[in-house]
Amino acid sequence: MKLTDFRAAATLGEARAILKELGPVGLPMAGGTSLVFTSEKDERVAVDINRAVPAGIVRENGTYRIGSTTRLEALQSFRGDGWVLDRVAVRLASQQIRNMSTIGGNISRVFPWADFPAVLLALNASMVIAGDAERVLSADEFFDGQPARLFQPGELLMTVNVPVLAAGQGFGYRKQTQTSAGFSLMTAAVWVEADGSAVKTARVAIGAGVPFPGRVTSVEELLKGRKASEAAFREAAEKGLAELKFKGGDGMSEEYIGHLAAVLVGDALNEAWAAAKGGAA
Amino acid sequence: MSKKSITFTINGEKKTFEIEPGEKLAKLLRRTGYVGVKEGCDEGTCGACTVIMDGHAVFSCILHAFLAEGRDIRTIESVGTFDNPHPLQAALVEEGAVQCGYCIPGMIMSAEALMQEIPDPTDEDIRTRMDGNLCRCTGYEKIWAAVKKVAQKK
Repeated sequence: MKLTDFRAAATLGEARAILKELGPVGLPMAGGTSLVFTSEKDERVAVDINRAVPAGIVRENGTYRIGSTTRLEALQSFRGDGWVLDRVAVRLASQQIRNMSTIGGNISRVFPWADFPAVLLALNASMVIAGDAERVLSADEFFDGQPARLFQPGELLMTVNVPVLAAGQGFGYRKQTQTSAGFSLMTAAVWVEADGSAVKTARVAIGAGVPFPGRVTSVEELLKGRKASEAAFREAAEKGLAELKFKGGDGMSEEYIGHLAAVLVGDALNEAWAAAKGGAA
Repeated sequence: MSKKSITFTINGEKKTFEIEPGEKLAKLLRRTGYVGVKEGCDEGTCGACTVIMDGHAVFSCILHAFLAEGRDIRTIESVGTFDNPHPLQAALVEEGAVQCGYCIPGMIMSAEALMQEIPDPTDEDIRTRMDGNLCRCTGYEKIWAAVKKVAQKK
């Protein structure tokens, strides 16, 4: 994007008023790191929202509430019971990017390699949008296409709500890159709830290597009520992903990416199950 | 496209600059004399342009200059001198960690931010916090050894 002007907002009200006035040409900006991937043909006026939209992580009633201008570095450094986003954030790009990029920017415009959409889908997060009336959207609604479609001029993503993992629940995450700071070739994020030795319910999502990040309900269905074992997880991943369309690229075939997805989902399920049963993962 | 002014603190001194809306901080700093800030990839990958903003290392080549408004920016020019080097600069020389030297200003700024953020960093902290600085000469080990020598002494 080519910036033709910039404005700064000191309060949420001011930010919303400026964005309403600018209409579609207005571009809320906090970190601004993703602009490097956009076309110079698109002329926009940037609005610095860093002082208008909150940053920070607060635990309230079984939920971590993350202000949308929270830097990924804060997610990386934060520690708390049932908090898992540090493991996701630390694998994203490099430290300087994590110091600049925000959770809101990472999910408001989804790039093919984005890490957080799959994770927030698996964790059943919800997003709070400030507008004339506040709206709360589930991750399933928010990521059912490019989130930008959901925002009217003057609306801003305020908060990402992530449920605290409770006893008997576990999270698993795998991301494959060519180099440590490289873009994801395939991302797998899994949340499971145990019922004794069986899987009560699971949420499985993948990103990168597919046209758009999303849940894989076919894998979830195969896992429901099933006795947990590594073999069961690998089988559910392979069978559940068999009909999906994958994207090749960077010298890798669609078949390879599909195989990679099955391996990573299987690994993430094993990790999530170990965590759900009180293991170290 | 008209120029606008922004004000921020640079190496302890509050200054006002005229900028183009899309101008990046690295370009602004270099054209105003802070040439210790190196330009490498110009896409937020190599780390040569690293500066510290409000205590955190950032890539100035992709940071829009207007986002620096009201912030505290530090460049390599604030860290030691030839006659009185920062302990990290001395350690880099002692460890033989500098060859062509192009990455070193960025390396030092990342290490400086690391030492402010994590007073007693582990080896893993050092590798994680310096993962955005590429060196094509030394293979990193000597650079990490120099950072460890200073950071783990603090």
